[in-house]
Amino acid sequence: MSHSTRCAACKSLRRRCPKDCVLAPYFPPTNPQRFACVHKIFGASNTTKMLEQLPLHLRAVAADCMSFEASSRVEDPVYGTVGIISQLQEQIIEAQSELVKTKSEIAFHNAQQQLQQQQMQQLQMINAIAQEGEDWP
Amino acid sequence: MGGNSPCASCKLLRRRCAKDCIFAPYFPSDDPHKFAIVHKVFGASNVSKMLQELPVHQRADAVSSLVYEANARVRDPVYGCVGAISFLQNQVSQLQMQLAVAQAEILCTQMQQEPVMPTPQMDPDDKSSYLFHDSLPQYLNFSSSSNVIHDSFKRESIFGHDMVS
Repeated sequence: MSHSTRCAACKSLRRRCPKDCVLAPYFPPTNPQRFACVHKIFGASNTTKMLEQLPLHLRAVAADCMSFEASSRVEDPVYGTVGIISQLQEQIIEAQSELVKTKSEIAFHNAQQQLQQQQMQQLQMINAIAQEGEDWP
Repeated sequence: MGGNSPCASCKLLRRRCAKDCIFAPYFPSDDPHKFAIVHKVFGASNVSKMLQELPVHQRADAVSSLVYEANARVRDPVYGCVGAISFLQNQVSQLQMQLAVAQAEILCTQMQQEPVMPTPQMDPDDKSSYLFHDSLPQYLNFSSSSNVIHDSFKRESIFGHDMVS
């Protein structure tokens, strides 16, 4: 009635790992660090509760996300994933500013090109008129 | 702090609010929801341990980020904050593509001009060219017990999350 090998969660909590252990599919014994982070930040009981509230097909993704959040918080105890979000927001602002600058350079080049073309056309017209004037007896 | 009125944490936990209560500076009694949500997601004991491990001047920021994460997880019990990260990474990718296209257009324009215009040097340190290569750290390339997360977090727009304010 229990797993032959305990999952990382049950190993860490020093308890029997039942066959219907909620955490076992997502915290294999081969990756004890993964559960250690989640246990430290969310707690085993909260993690179980949060996963139990989800339909089965969403639990793997949820466990991965919680694991990512927990390990981010262990790496950065002040900001956790919020630090990553801030960095991304800064990158977006920088990229948007670069894009605006680049687009205005394109607009400037296009305007310059247009002006040059207009000047060429005017010169050609003047030359043509001058040529006509010379051709007249 | 714990003299007259207990902080939100001690009120919720139904205990005496000591003068040196670790929660009191950050969870005032007039905002019970703030502690409630952090307690629901992380647990009071874990939050207390996390705060104790930090120097005092960093605790306010830590509480703010914990509240943010807790709110995100309650709003989205599957993805939590990671949903926002995925969305923002997607935005950065799209901007990188747009910038690459725009920069290619500039190069073409410059190459079509008279030879008097010198060919621009591609300076690898130049900020305007930094987005030709992928400078974005891969936050979401973590190993998992399933392949579901890798499929979900390929560079596609998955959701249009509202950021938790």
